[in-house]
Amino acid sequence: MRKLSVLTLVVVLALVVSAAGAALARQNVEITLMGWSSSTEENDALLAQVAAFEAANPDISVNVQLVPEYDTTIQAAFASGDSPNVFYVDSSKLPDWAEAGVLASGEGMIENLDDHYESLLEAFTYDGTLYCPPKDFSIMALQYNKDMFDAAGLDYPTPDWTWDDLRTAAEALTGENEAGQKVLGLVTPPNFERWLPFLYQAGGSVLNEDWTEVTLDSDEAREALEFYIGMVNDGIAGPPSMVDAGWGGEAFAQGRVALAMEGNWVISYLVEQFPDLNWGVTELPRHPAGGQASMVFTVCYGVASNNDYPDESWQLANFLTGPEGSQLVAEEGFGVIPPAISAADTWLEAIGPEIGEGFLAGAEYAHKWQFPVGFQDVFDTFNADLQLAFEGQYLAEDVIIDTIGVAEEVLAR
Amino acid sequence: MAQPQVLARPKVTTMAAKRRQEALTGYMFMAPALVIFLVFLIIPIGAAVYLSFTDWNGITPVFDEGAYEQVGLDNYRDLLLGEHTEADGRVVKATTRQRDFFISLKNTTYYVLGVVPTQTLLALILAVIVNQRWLKAKGFFRTAFYFPSITSSVVISIIFMWMFTRGGLINTTIGAVFSGYDSNSFVNWLDDPRGVIHIILEQFGVTRANVGDWASNRSLGLTTWEWLSGPSVTMLTIMILNTWTTIGTMMVIFLAALQNIPSSVYEAAAIDGANAWRIFRQITVPLLRPTTFFVVTLGLIGCFQVFDQIYVISSGGPAKTTLTVAYMVYQNGFNRSAMGLAAATAIILFVIIFAFTLLQRLFVSERANV
Repeated sequence: MRKLSVLTLVVVLALVVSAAGAALARQNVEITLMGWSSSTEENDALLAQVAAFEAANPDISVNVQLVPEYDTTIQAAFASGDSPNVFYVDSSKLPDWAEAGVLASGEGMIENLDDHYESLLEAFTYDGTLYCPPKDFSIMALQYNKDMFDAAGLDYPTPDWTWDDLRTAAEALTGENEAGQKVLGLVTPPNFERWLPFLYQAGGSVLNEDWTEVTLDSDEAREALEFYIGMVNDGIAGPPSMVDAGWGGEAFAQGRVALAMEGNWVISYLVEQFPDLNWGVTELPRHPAGGQASMVFTVCYGVASNNDYPDESWQLANFLTGPEGSQLVAEEGFGVIPPAISAADTWLEAIGPEIGEGFLAGAEYAHKWQFPVGFQDVFDTFNADLQLAFEGQYLAEDVIIDTIGVAEEVLAR
Repeated sequence: MAQPQVLARPKVTTMAAKRRQEALTGYMFMAPALVIFLVFLIIPIGAAVYLSFTDWNGITPVFDEGAYEQVGLDNYRDLLLGEHTEADGRVVKATTRQRDFFISLKNTTYYVLGVVPTQTLLALILAVIVNQRWLKAKGFFRTAFYFPSITSSVVISIIFMWMFTRGGLINTTIGAVFSGYDSNSFVNWLDDPRGVIHIILEQFGVTRANVGDWASNRSLGLTTWEWLSGPSVTMLTIMILNTWTTIGTMMVIFLAALQNIPSSVYEAAAIDGANAWRIFRQITVPLLRPTTFFVVTLGLIGCFQVFDQIYVISSGGPAKTTLTVAYMVYQNGFNRSAMGLAAATAIILFVIIFAFTLLQRLFVSERANV
């Protein structure tokens, strides 16, 4: 009898323990966060943010997946109905993903709206719906090689530089380096988004406000494109490949160009890999009539519409983009700017104000990098034509006519 | 252990039953391969055919209601005709899609025309060389020639990119040999959209401007002048790369075939007084014909599907001159949210490859009958 009761006790205890375990397990929710892999510092900062979130929410554990070939991977995940709960969304991809219905609406779910830049929230609003809180952003600015400016006896660029100043400086800085290699004044990648600031500075636009009409057929567009192509045809600027580089930042880092127009992603690249480079940064030059513009490239934390744990997902997205999460990123002081306005000062301090302010200043007037679904066709046509124009085979007018034709076709689809 | 014999009743089996039994066993053995074949080949092919008649964006979960609509042949019309008509009678222009498709077809065709004959010929020559008895260190040469084929194409592509940058190994080497070729005239191998034929014509003073009006006639979205561009300089670089990496495989196939030719045939020819060239022309080449067919077919299929080198080196640029059909499938599916269109492109590519293979088979077997 005694033996039996001990056994009963053991069995009952075991049952209680396992039931409690099951209850705990039910509470402990695992959500998946998918993004692309960046620099080690940036990945570490994300992991630190996630650790802080898990510490504050012991019942939620986050499975972080930083994958290569992100766009392909996540598209396959969407298509198979196996979407991660929270994931990176580039502002240029937002229209496609919103149209496809894989993004949950962020209306009423996103916290700390006051602490976010208006221009960023606008970049994640599609068809009147705000989808996701911005994760970070990068703004195009003008980087200059101080040593090359000193050697040429030129003053450093300032925020009130105009296109004419840019041209004059690029002309003076074009030449050869000690190794006899060609050095260009300015690097001009043959990409639509690199030319867009010039279009916006000149007062032009690609589409009308509600994306129903193509507005490229304008004097402003022609002026901006002729300026961009003209510098290449005159031999004072060129694409990165002309100076043996894969991208503008590399051309600049290797001293093969004196000026570049990259975003703040270039900071960690230059600081870590080229610590000896003596460089500065300021805002993009203005149109001679005074027009100021830049581009903002930004990413948000989207929440899946097909989601077992929507509440926990929003909790994570809000934490990562909120004041506390932003501070964690800002303190690290690498390239990208944290999304919360309250964290801007911390970021500036960590990155060094001379560098940081040149980029951050553009947040006021930068345009979002976002176009309607299917506009990839337009970018590809423009970029291909622009390369031919750089080679002198196309005129600015040819590029504009081609681009308008494709853009109108895409809008009519 | 002795089994009690009485319990084992002799089975009465007819011939038919036995055969069925054997067939079943056979299928059981084949089952793993059949399942893999079905799951990873037949079903995806069927899915691609089905999706090519839809407007699926490739993002919305494919089994969701309303993930796609049936659009009939619209994707094919867009690619081949440059427009389609909606159900309400509205004509939707797709000139860009048509143009891109024919640009990619043109690029792929030049690529195939350049690479397939070159790699077949070079592979044959290499195979004959490493098959010679007098050659010392055969093993080394065979390994060296075969090595590029087994190395990852991504790694090889990246190494080629470094070699072919403007200030890279290739240009510096040429510059060291030819004094006129200095750093200012360096060819921009990886970023030069000019067509090779255009460049050659230009040397003879023939340009778009003076060639006459016929060059401006448009067919299938491209002007005649554009059709006649030849591969661009960048495409030529990728062609060189791919020729180099595939030669090894082809060489091994030729080598195996060469070693199958009985030496008695060669001896007989030698006794008859044939010289080395004649032996090669009239014994080796004809006896290798089935192998040549195999190598050319493999080459055709591989070249029409060229993707990874393009993806790594040029992403279809500069100016779409390295946009191949296979790369366009990827672009439509993953950059443009048009998976239905991508599937249609893939199906057309399949039809083209199939037709070429049949054509070539016809050609080779006719020659063999003569």
